[in-house]
Amino acid sequence: MTGLYLAGAFSIGALLFFNRKRLINYLLVIAFLILQIGFTIYEYHHINTIELHYFSADALGILLLVTLSIISIPAMYHSYVFMSKSDDNPRHRGIYFAAMVVLLTAISGAYLANHIAVTWIFIELTTLSSSALIYHRRNNRSLEGTWKYVFVCAISITLVFIGILFLSFTLQQAGTDDLSFAVLIKKAPELNLFWLRLAFIFIFTGLTAKLGLVPMYTAGIDAKDKAPSPAGALLSSVLMNMGFVGIFRFYTVIANSPIHNWANHVILIAALLSIFVATVYMTKVKNIKRMFAYSSIEHMGIVMLGLVAGGIGYYAAILHIILHAFVKSSLFFQMGQIYRIYKSKSIYDAGNYFKYNLTGSIVVLLGFFSATAMPPSGLFISEFLIFRSLFEANYLSVLIIVMLLLTIIIWAFGKNIFKLLFSPAVDFKEDDIEKINPVESISQFILLGLVVYLGLNPPAEFVTLIQEAIKNLPL
Amino acid sequence: MTNVLLIIFTISLLYLGIAHRLLTYIKILVFQGLLLFGIAFIELIKIDALNLAFVLLETIVFKAFFIPLFLNYVMKKNRITRDAEPFLPNFVSLILITIIIIATFILSNAIADSRISKIYFVVAISTLFTGLYIIVTRHKIITHVMGYLVIENGVFILSIAVGNEMPMLVNLGILLDIFASVFLLGIFVNKIGDVLKDVDVEQLKNLKD
Amino acid sequence: MISFLLIIVASLFFTGVIIRTKSFTSGRKGPGIFQPMKDVIRLFKKGAVYSKTTSFIFQIAPSIYFASIIMAILVIPFGQYKGIISFEGDFVFFAYILGTGKFFSIISALDTGSSFEGMGASREALFSMFAEPAFFILMGSFALLTGHTSFQEIFASLHFGSSISYVLGVLATTVLVMITLIENSRMPFDDPNTHLELTMVHEVMILDNSGFDLGMILYATNLKFAMYGALIANLFMGSAPLYFTIPIFLALQFIFAITIGFLESFTARFRMNHNAQYILALSSVSLLIFLGVLLVLGQFN
Repeated sequence: MTGLYLAGAFSIGALLFFNRKRLINYLLVIAFLILQIGFTIYEYHHINTIELHYFSADALGILLLVTLSIISIPAMYHSYVFMSKSDDNPRHRGIYFAAMVVLLTAISGAYLANHIAVTWIFIELTTLSSSALIYHRRNNRSLEGTWKYVFVCAISITLVFIGILFLSFTLQQAGTDDLSFAVLIKKAPELNLFWLRLAFIFIFTGLTAKLGLVPMYTAGIDAKDKAPSPAGALLSSVLMNMGFVGIFRFYTVIANSPIHNWANHVILIAALLSIFVATVYMTKVKNIKRMFAYSSIEHMGIVMLGLVAGGIGYYAAILHIILHAFVKSSLFFQMGQIYRIYKSKSIYDAGNYFKYNLTGSIVVLLGFFSATAMPPSGLFISEFLIFRSLFEANYLSVLIIVMLLLTIIIWAFGKNIFKLLFSPAVDFKEDDIEKINPVESISQFILLGLVVYLGLNPPAEFVTLIQEAIKNLPL
Repeated sequence: MTNVLLIIFTISLLYLGIAHRLLTYIKILVFQGLLLFGIAFIELIKIDALNLAFVLLETIVFKAFFIPLFLNYVMKKNRITRDAEPFLPNFVSLILITIIIIATFILSNAIADSRISKIYFVVAISTLFTGLYIIVTRHKIITHVMGYLVIENGVFILSIAVGNEMPMLVNLGILLDIFASVFLLGIFVNKIGDVLKDVDVEQLKNLKD
Repeated sequence: MISFLLIIVASLFFTGVIIRTKSFTSGRKGPGIFQPMKDVIRLFKKGAVYSKTTSFIFQIAPSIYFASIIMAILVIPFGQYKGIISFEGDFVFFAYILGTGKFFSIISALDTGSSFEGMGASREALFSMFAEPAFFILMGSFALLTGHTSFQEIFASLHFGSSISYVLGVLATTVLVMITLIENSRMPFDDPNTHLELTMVHEVMILDNSGFDLGMILYATNLKFAMYGALIANLFMGSAPLYFTIPIFLALQFIFAITIGFLESFTARFRMNHNAQYILALSSVSLLIFLGVLLVLGQFN
C-alpha cells in the first residue's frame, strides 16, 4: 500500500503540475485528500508492518500521519480560498498545488521510513517542494526568502549526510551494515563511541533546520514569513514534526548507548538557546507572521527540553508536538484572513480586529490562549508535564530560566495580539474592507477544539499510541 | 596512490584560498573533479561494474564538465565581474585555511579506529570547513554556490572511505550533488540574476526584523 | 672538501647559463657563458666610491655578506661525503648564517639614507621572513623522516620507497626551487632586469655599491645559486660512487639553471602586494609535506 500511495500521490502531483483547468484541479486535490485519509486509516490498522523493506508504520509515525491528514484538509481548503482571492494564474496555481501535494507526500514518507537514509531522501524532497511554495508570490522578497531557505537547507542536508556517513563508520565495528533504526537500536551499546558522537552532532545540527532550533532555524523564519499562509501553516506544523521525527528516532538509538548523558547536554544547550533567541526576537518583531514563526521556535525548544528531562517528559514532548501542530496551523490559517483585511502583515497597520471580523478575532483570541499554554488548552497540560519532568530530573536552574523566558514571551505575544484585537489601527481606511465569510473560520475552531479535547480528555487509543512510541527510550 | 591524489587535493584547497578571480575558482573545481575521478577509480574497484561506471561517469561528467560549464554560463549571462571580492584579504584566508588543515589533523589524533584511513578523514573535514569558510567570507552570491560545491567534494571523499562496504551511500552522495547543485544553479540562473541587479549579498538583506 | 670545490665550479657558469637561456628563448644569441664572471673580475679591479652619508657599516657589509655565503657553502654535503663543517643541527646554522648575511645587506641598504633602498630592504626582509618557515619545515620533515639532524646524515639516509615519498620528494624539490627564486630575488618574485626603482626588491638594495664591493655581491649571488642547486642535487644523489655523482651533480646544476632561465622567460612577476601571499602559500605547502611525512611514518601523536 505504501508503494501504491507514493506512486498515486506523485502522479496526482504531476497531473496537477500540467493541468490548467480549475475543475480538474478540484477533482485531483479531492482525490489526493481521499488517498491520504485512506492511507492513514490503512496504516492505522497495519501498525508495525514492514512494507517495501524501508517503510514501517510505528506508533509515532501513525500519530503524526493522522495529524498530517487532519491538517491537510483545511490546508487545501484555505489554499483554494487564497487562490480565489488573489490573481488566478493557472500555471502558478498548478505549481502551487503540485508542490503542496509533493510536500505532504514527502512528509508522510519521512514519517513512515524506518531507514535513516530513506528519511534523508524524503527530507531533501521536502526542501525542493517547499521552496516552490515559498516562491509563489514571485516578488523580490520572496525570491530572497526562497534562496536563503534552499541554501541553508542544502547545507543542513549535507551535514545530515555527513552524519549518516559517520554512522556507517560506527557500524563497521558492530559488524553489520544495515542502517535501519531497528537494527541501530539493537546494536546501540556496541557502536563505536567516537564516531557516534560525531554522527550525533552532525545529524542534530542538520535537522535543526527542519525542526527549528538553534543553529539552523534562520531559514525557516523567512520561509514561513514569505510563503502564502496555508503553505506557511504546513511549514510550521507538519514540517517541524518531520524534523522532530528524524531527531527523535536517532535519539532513541543514542539513548540506548553510553553517550546518552552527553547527547542530553548538547540538546539542552540547543533548546535553551532556541527559547532565548525566540524571546529576544518576539519582543522586537513587528511582522505578525514572523511572530508566529518565532513562537514555533520557542515551542520546539520546550519539546526538546521535555526529551532531555526524561520520565514523564517523553510523553509530554510527543503530546506537545501534536497539539502544537494543530494550534500553529490554525493561527496561520487565520493569518490569511488578517492579511486580506489589512493588506499588510505589520502590527502597526493592524488593529480593532473585533470590529472587522468577529469570528476571526475570536479565533485569534483562543489561538493566543492556546499558543501561550493557558488552560483549558491542551498545551497547558503538556507544558506542565514538561516542567514537572524538568523538576524531577533536577534541572531546577534550567526550569527557572525557561519560566522567566516564557513569561517574557507571553508578554510580547500578548502585547501584539491585544494591539491587533483591541486598539485602533493607525492610518487605516475603513472604506472597502473585505467581508470575510464566518464559514472560513470553522476549520480553525475545529482544530482548536481538538487541542482542548486531546489535552483534557484524550481517547485511550491516543494515550496507548504515545506510550508505545516512547517504549524504546530508557526510563 | 590515493594518498598522493589526496595530498594534491589539499594543495588545491590552499590555492582556493589565494585565488583572486572567479575563473580560477572554476578551474580549481574542474581540477578537483578530475582528482576525485582518479580517487574513485582506484578505491572503488571492488564494487560491481554498473555502480562503478555510474560513479565515475558522475564525477567526470558532472563535477569536471557540466557544472563548471554551467557556472561559466551563469557568469556570462549575469555579467558577473571577475573578482572574487573577499571580505578578508587573501593573506588572512591562506593562514586560516592552513590553521583549518592543522586543526583537522590534530582532531584526527583522537580517532582510535585503525580501519578508517585517517587521511580521508583529514582531507574531507578540512575540505568541508574550507567550503564553509569560502561561503562565509565572500561578497558575491555565486561564490556561495562555489563554496557549496567544495563542500560537496569533501562529502564525496568521505563517502569513498566507506564506499566499498556500502556503495549505496556513495550513490546517495551523488544524488545529493546532482539535485542540490542543479537546483541551486537553476534558481540562480533563472531568477536571481534577473531580479537582483548586482549579484552581491548586500542585496539579500531585506528580510529581517 | 669536494662539495666546496664543485659548488665553486658550478657558480662559474650558473648565471651565464641562465642569461643564455633567456636570450635563446627571446630569439637572440646572447652573451657568452662566462660573461658574468668576466664582469665580476672587471669590477674587482676597480676602486669603490663611498657616499658621505654612509657609515662604516656600508663599507664592511658586502664583505660580511660574502663571508656568510662562503660559510654556508662549507656546510653543504656531497652525497655521502660530509661538507667541510658538519655537526648535529647544522641546517639551522646554515639558515641563520645566511640570515646574518642578509641582515647586514639590509642594514647597509638602510645606511645609505635613500628611501628607495629602504623600501627594497623592507620588501626583502618581508619575503625572507615568509620563506623561512618553508625552509625549516621542509628540513624538519626530512629530519623527522630520517631521524638525523645533520645535513649529510639526512641526505645520506634519505631513500624513496613508496609512492607517497616520491610525491614528497617532488614537492620538496618544488619548494626548494621556489625558495631559491625567493632568496635570489628572481622572477616571479622580483625582476632583476627592471629599471624602475619602485618595482625593484633586491636590485635596489645594491644601487649604491660600486667597485670591489659590487663585484663581491654579484659573485655572492652566483654562489647562492650554485649552493641551492647543490642542495637540490643532494636529494637525488644517494650513495652512488664518485664517478657517477660528479657528472650527475654538474648535469643537475646545468638543468636547474636552464629551468630557472625558462621560468624567468615565461612568467611575469606577481603583483607586489600579492607576493607575500604566494610566499606564505609556499610555507603552507611545506606544512603539507610535514603532515605527509607524519603519514608515512604512521605516527600521529
